[in-house]
Order: sequence, then structure tokens, then C-alpha cells
Amino acid sequence: MRGLLMLELLPPLNDKNLPWLDVIHPIVVHFVIAMALITVVFDLLGVITRRRNLFEVSFWNLVVATVAIFVAIIFGQIEAGLANPYGAARDLLNYHSTIGWSLAGVLGLLTGWRYVVRQKDPTVLPAGFLVIDGVLAVLVFCQVYLGDMLVWVYGLHTVPVVEAVRSGVIS
Amino acid sequence: MSPRFSELFTTISSPINEIVDQLGANDLPYIFPVHPNLVHFTIGLFAIGIAFDFAGAFYPLEKRVFRYLALPVTRVGFHDVGWYNLLACSLISFFTVGAGFYEMLLAVPLPGVRSVIGQNAIDTMLWHAVGGVALLLMIVAMTIWRGYQRFVWRKDYGRQVSWLYLACGSLILVLMGVHGSLGAWLASEFGVHITADQLLAAGADLREVLP
Repeated sequence: MRGLLMLELLPPLNDKNLPWLDVIHPIVVHFVIAMALITVVFDLLGVITRRRNLFEVSFWNLVVATVAIFVAIIFGQIEAGLANPYGAARDLLNYHSTIGWSLAGVLGLLTGWRYVVRQKDPTVLPAGFLVIDGVLAVLVFCQVYLGDMLVWVYGLHTVPVVEAVRSGVIS
Repeated sequence: MSPRFSELFTTISSPINEIVDQLGANDLPYIFPVHPNLVHFTIGLFAIGIAFDFAGAFYPLEKRVFRYLALPVTRVGFHDVGWYNLLACSLISFFTVGAGFYEMLLAVPLPGVRSVIGQNAIDTMLWHAVGGVALLLMIVAMTIWRGYQRFVWRKDYGRQVSWLYLACGSLILVLMGVHGSLGAWLASEFGVHITADQLLAAGADLREVLP
């Protein structure tokens, strides 16, 4: 690893193989997971209860999710680069990265669409948007599943796994 | 503690042993812990709810920026996010705490480990448990306070929340940060409910059991 330019820009790595105290990506994704899924919930509630102001609530949550996912990707890429995935975790991490970048595109498109429609009338949800919401929720669930596999099954960036990787017990 | 008592602790085994054949390597009857997934909602909804009430409170300052961006924004819209996000946070956080207790009763932290702040496993778990209940109480109290401000005390005001409410919200966010760190260390340092960590502690070869 020595000699890599990016690593020289970061502080020395700790016992979780991180240049900072704890993983940051799982903290940032609070705001992607919670805001994206609550957008779907508030859209649905808005349609069912006809409380049109809920569409405004879901719009702003969608905006937050869209901003947050780019921050999540930045930290995700750095921490993935330091994760030393082993066994099947390598594939899982690749899928997680692919869906992550795709979600950024999907969230960006949805926010743009909602922005344009909202300029005309903020009390209207575009036709068929609930279907798109469903697709968004499925994507987020898949992404959370993959992230959970990396943390809770493969233990990437946890002290025992980092120790085992460094001593060559797993690779 | 007298030596006789400590002998008792080593001879009476944990009640988890009675159901050990129903648990996986992560000490749970299912593949991932539920609590850390619900935590996304508790923290995300609370933080963004408070943030949007701040946005509503400082609306007079932001107006020009939004006009420049040609983004139609209403103050009441910001406060709607503050209210509904907090309400959703309150509802889901009961499940966060419930799942947390279930999974803590099944937790088997790795022995002999100290966290970044020098705490051992049981201290970290107890602080995280008691702190979790205290935070749930604070979240619910904030929601009731928020509701009274929205529908009774401040219903005729443009700014739907008092400065004290915003200050309390910010303080609770700091507490959540510390509290969340304890929870994160239970996983990343004490290996609680992490399959790979538990297998390594048991002396298993991950190349075979976790390909």
C-alpha cells in the first residue's frame, strides 16, 4: 500500500484500518436511508389521506436524501478502498458500490422531476410517482441488505477482522 | 465482591445457553441485527426534523437566497417537515429501543476488550441501554412539546418553534452522537452480533466457514 498518493493524504490508519475514529459512511447513510424511505411513506400517506402538505414534506426529505447520497458515496469509496474485503465480501462490495452510484442517479432524477412539477403546483404528486417510489424503496432495501452483509456478516472495519487480515489469517 | 459470589457467577451459566441451538454464529436467530437498521430512522428523522425547524426559524434570512434560486419555498412547509419527521421519529423509536433490548439480551461481547474511552463491554452496554430509554423519553417529550407549539401555543406565529425548543433539539443531537458512538463500538470493537468477529473469537477458519 505504501506509495499510494491518496493514502499519504490521510492520517495514519487505526485498528479499524481507518484514518478516523469510526466508519463515517454508515453514519451518513442514516440520511439517505431514512429520508428516501420516509419520502415514500409520506407520498403514500399524502395520496391516501389527501393531505397535500405531505407532498411538501416528502419533497424536502427527497432533497436531503439526494444531497446525502453524494456525501455517502465519497466516504463510502474511501472506506471501501480501506476495507480489505475477503471471500464473497469482494463481490458484495462491488454490488454495493454499483447500486450506490446508481441510487445517486435515480435520486437525482427523481428530485429533478419533483422540482419541475413542484414549480407549477406543489400540491400535486406527478402521476405514477408512487410506482417510482416503489422502485426507489426496493433499491434502498437491496442496498441496505448488501451494506448489512458487509458489516454484520463479514465485519469489515471491525477490530477482530482487521487484525485477522493484517496477520494474514484471512484474505 | 466476596470470592463466594464471584464463584456463583461462573457456575451459573447465561440463560442464552438454553436457546443456543436456535441461534446463529452471530448469537441471533436471524442474519442481521434489527436495531442498527432502525437506528437510521431514529437519528435521520430527528436530525432532519430539527434542521428543518431551524430552516423555518431563520426563514426571513433565507428568503432572498431561495428567490435567487427560483425555488418556491414556504415557511410553513419547512415547519411541516420539522413536525412530521419528529412524529415519525417518535413512532419508530419505540421499535428501535424494543429491538435494541431484545438484541442486547442476546449479546455476547468479546472478552477483555476496552473501547476507545476505556470502557469495558458491560459498561458500554448498560450505558447504551439506559441512555437509549432516556433518549426515547426525550424524543417523545420533544414531540409532545412540538405538537403543542404547532397546534396551540404558536399556531398564529410564523415561526412555529421557540428558540428553547431548537436549543434542546441541538443538545439531544449531541447526546445522540455520543450514544450512537457507544452503540457503534459495541459492534466494531466488541464484535456484538457480527458473524465474522464471533467466528474469529471462536477460533474458526473464516476461509472455510465464511467463504
